[in-house]
Amino acid sequence: MKRTVRAVLVWGVLSLGIATAAWAHHSFAAAFDMNKPVTVKGTIVQVRLENPHSWFFLDVKDASGKVERWAFEAGTPSGMLRNGFKPGLIKQGVEVTIKGFHAKDPAQNMGMLRELILADGTSYGMFGSQQGPAAQ
Amino acid sequence: MTRRGIGEVVTAGFVFGLLWIAVVSVTAPLAQQEEKPGPVPRMADGHPDLSGVWWGGADIGAARGRGAARGGGARGGARGTPPPTFTSLYKPEAAAKAKTLGDKDDPTLRCTPTAFGTLNVSLYDVGAVGQIISTPRMIVMLTETYHGFRLVPTDGRPHRDDVAPSYRGDSVGRWDGDTFIVDTTNFTDNTWMSAEGRVSPHSDALHIVERYRRVDANTLEIEATVEDPQTLTAPWVVPKQTLVLAPFDRIMSINCSGIETQALMDAAAKQGK
Repeated sequence: MKRTVRAVLVWGVLSLGIATAAWAHHSFAAAFDMNKPVTVKGTIVQVRLENPHSWFFLDVKDASGKVERWAFEAGTPSGMLRNGFKPGLIKQGVEVTIKGFHAKDPAQNMGMLRELILADGTSYGMFGSQQGPAAQ
Repeated sequence: MTRRGIGEVVTAGFVFGLLWIAVVSVTAPLAQQEEKPGPVPRMADGHPDLSGVWWGGADIGAARGRGAARGGGARGGARGTPPPTFTSLYKPEAAAKAKTLGDKDDPTLRCTPTAFGTLNVSLYDVGAVGQIISTPRMIVMLTETYHGFRLVPTDGRPHRDDVAPSYRGDSVGRWDGDTFIVDTTNFTDNTWMSAEGRVSPHSDALHIVERYRRVDANTLEIEATVEDPQTLTAPWVVPKQTLVLAPFDRIMSINCSGIETQALMDAAAKQGK
């Protein structure tokens, strides 16, 4: 039974990985380290819903008070918009937490967006709302 | 496992089976009722009207529903083997050239469209949605991702000889019964057949013939044959794609800023190579 459960779990994880890879544009793995999760909290400077990929830019204050600009890459705009993301929803100055994977170059303040969370807890994924069709 | 354990598993399986039969018997007739599409709409000249926004049932990133685009499986391949792809038919010299290229060379990162389409649907190009506006004289094919369009006359006229080669080529069309046949040539050789880092260069001898057939109000089937004698050992028969009508009547216009995206991704990957 344990073996069966383990097989199901392994298969589930593999399937999830394959499904994610199938929709991931342009080998995100070539630019971002999927073994290096990163979480930053900051203020949105710009949201660009553009092809080939959307980008979220934010200012992040470190412990010493120094502000650094971060950039996170997300999915295609059409995929985000048709899966629950609303243009203009996240405006300049809005505080957000972004979880993702860090750039392979550790010197870059850059990452691949996995989840964007607003102050009220609303969250959006790479392709739109975490509660939207993409999450189902 | 003990005898009691085996008994529990068998009982659980039996109960699950009964539940499954009950659910299927209740929902199947409802599903059949829902899935009755209307007849093929027709234009004033009697030919099928191909107009609509077409997709595979969802956009990129969403779980695909029952109407998801389906590619034919066995066609073009021996039984039990996957059908050939464009790159599986490469001549040795084309395969050698492809080996020198990688994800960062993908022209679509710089907002250049594909010559065909990542999901084997030319109407989509890089994305997963396309629109057709059908008139008796001209059929307009619009792709959402990179502002692409094709204007396809329906009267069987020959290709133009006074237009420059282009990313999406020069298309002409004709009706064969209820099937619309689109013949496309005059491509440039600086695009790939697919995006998403799928290395797939081609030559300017690329020639694509597509067959569009609206089988009912909600369904469009597309078959295609791709020739590129400078690159391929044989024509590539593309698996048949089945598209469904999207629940909206306009695609979006979305800007592309590929140069900056490529620069940002290059920077992110800098020390990761």
